[in-house]
Amino acid sequence: MRRFSGRFRSSLIIGLQGIRARKLRTLLSMISLFLGVLAVVVVQAGASIAERALLADLELTAGYDGTRIMEMAPQQAAADTVTATVRGRTDAVAMLAVSGIIGEPGVTPVNPGGSPIDEDWGPPMDCDENGCVPIGGPKGEAVEVRLTALTGDVRQFRPFRQVSGQWLNFTTVPAMAPKLVLNREAAKAFDRHRVPAEMRVGGATNNVTPQFTGVVDDGDGQPRAYVRLDELTTWLPTSSLADPSTNSELRLMMAAGSPVEQVVVSKLKGQGNEPYVYTVETRKEQQKTLTLMQLVFFAMAGLVLLIGVAGILNVGLATVGERVEEFALRRAVGTPRFLLAGIVLVETLLTGLLTAAAAIGVSVAGLRVVSMLVGNSQPILQDVQFPWEAGVAGIIAGLVAGILGGFIPALRAARIPIATVMRA
Amino acid sequence: MSTLIELAGITKVLKGQEQPRTILDGVHLTVEAGQSVAIVGRSGSGKSTLLSVIGLFDRADSGSYQLEGQEIGRVPERRAARLRSSHFGFVFQRFFLLKHLTAAQNVAMALVNGQGWLPRRQRRTRVMEALEEVGIAHLAKNRPTKMSGGEQQRVAIARALVRDPKILLADEPTGALDTETGALVIDALLAATGRGCGLILVTHDRDHAARMGRIHDLVDGVLNERVAVR
Repeated sequence: MRRFSGRFRSSLIIGLQGIRARKLRTLLSMISLFLGVLAVVVVQAGASIAERALLADLELTAGYDGTRIMEMAPQQAAADTVTATVRGRTDAVAMLAVSGIIGEPGVTPVNPGGSPIDEDWGPPMDCDENGCVPIGGPKGEAVEVRLTALTGDVRQFRPFRQVSGQWLNFTTVPAMAPKLVLNREAAKAFDRHRVPAEMRVGGATNNVTPQFTGVVDDGDGQPRAYVRLDELTTWLPTSSLADPSTNSELRLMMAAGSPVEQVVVSKLKGQGNEPYVYTVETRKEQQKTLTLMQLVFFAMAGLVLLIGVAGILNVGLATVGERVEEFALRRAVGTPRFLLAGIVLVETLLTGLLTAAAAIGVSVAGLRVVSMLVGNSQPILQDVQFPWEAGVAGIIAGLVAGILGGFIPALRAARIPIATVMRA
Repeated sequence: MSTLIELAGITKVLKGQEQPRTILDGVHLTVEAGQSVAIVGRSGSGKSTLLSVIGLFDRADSGSYQLEGQEIGRVPERRAARLRSSHFGFVFQRFFLLKHLTAAQNVAMALVNGQGWLPRRQRRTRVMEALEEVGIAHLAKNRPTKMSGGEQQRVAIARALVRDPKILLADEPTGALDTETGALVIDALLAATGRGCGLILVTHDRDHAARMGRIHDLVDGVLNERVAVR
């Protein structure tokens, strides 16, 4: 071990001396390699940033991979069965989504149909054989949201990002005035429109006065508000929330292996309601596509890197040719052949590492500039951090290029006949 | 005095030509510790080849080569490298100093050769002692391009001495120097024999050869001891 350490240190010292003595050649090697390593770093950085942004949003909307999801027709009996089965459990959460309008009564909301606030889906229509006519009063200060009632904390399945305020607390006694957590789109709507705190939900006997407690990012483009089911059912029965004739939704999210699934499926089948159960695998599927794209880009970056390797190889061979006497002399003073090869490899490896450091530095600076220039219009690039994977890829590319470019010159150096010094 | 080198019946034939040419023909040579030996002969007589065989740069085709009583004529390259590092010091006609290194770094080159590791401080001490020994410690930080031929050759001698070799092999070390400077170089080489180091000097210069303990003539590959000078 000690001997190895001595040899390693020897080759490091001699390699550094060699680099210092041939600064211009080292610089030329670095220039020839720079684009290749930069290409690898940029491809990896781009892939990592895209992957993070894309997959993070996927998890927000679809849920973590492995989560079991049960969807069923929103029949009243089904809603009662599901909510009764999961009550008090932590491994499954039932979600009942209905339309709710918050604001002035008797007006058409600013986003009829619960459309995103900057889109207009048009007024609701009443259609018959003779055609469709718009229904509802004039547009007023009201916002339509998808009101999603939850039996428990859904963030174990969908990692909502808290933007402000607080998330729903499921451990306290239900409040009389239901507490709502808005998503970003709903928050945007309420930011633009001053509306009275009055909420109308189909089936409720009275209008409800909600309290807004926080804003989350749920990855949804539609205005949405989350509420505890038990707080909402103070004002209307669960069965009123589930009505197949409206656009209500009933869904159950479960941890893999939860016994709830089997029980609920059996009960629903008994009611003639066949649920659709599946496992979330969006990340895995998306990953496949991303990996394929990544491979294509890496192949292109690899080609550029190969050109850089050829550059190092060329400079390395020329350098060994010039240093024949030096290597023969080193052998004469007792340096073993493989250490001579090691010296050449250390030089090319250090060149590769220096190039990698330069490429990573340029990429970090470039990413900052891009983030500053277009971060406002491209959320994916806003406050984006340089991914460590790209740094590692750059270092590996530099090392691989160093080894590939230095291998043949190293062999040549090791084969230089020692008698060269005697014949000189 | 103990025997350092004992060559018996060393033969070397140069192949790869139309007719193989015998360069060394049954060479016998013994060198004791502290002894100095001059090998003289015409150009092409095989002096450098003999030195290559002794320095383990090259292998003899036949014969016996013993170093301190051990047969080393057929040792593998890895062991040969170790022996070159531990037992031999080499001085060449062309000094072979690396231009990008200082005098001290050129001398340290023999210590940074992968055969054992010396910490920087010890390395520096050894280098300065070797430079001191050849009288150019004050030039330690100079690069070869700023030195005279004699100074450069003394740096090369310091490089050969820094590992305390048992044998110094010098291949026409004064060939590129004027007479006066050459004499100083021979002084430096002979000084090493004072502490038990054997010296084999290949030279054309009769005056320098005359300063050695023994002189051997190499004629057509055959080595003959000429006369015992001292």
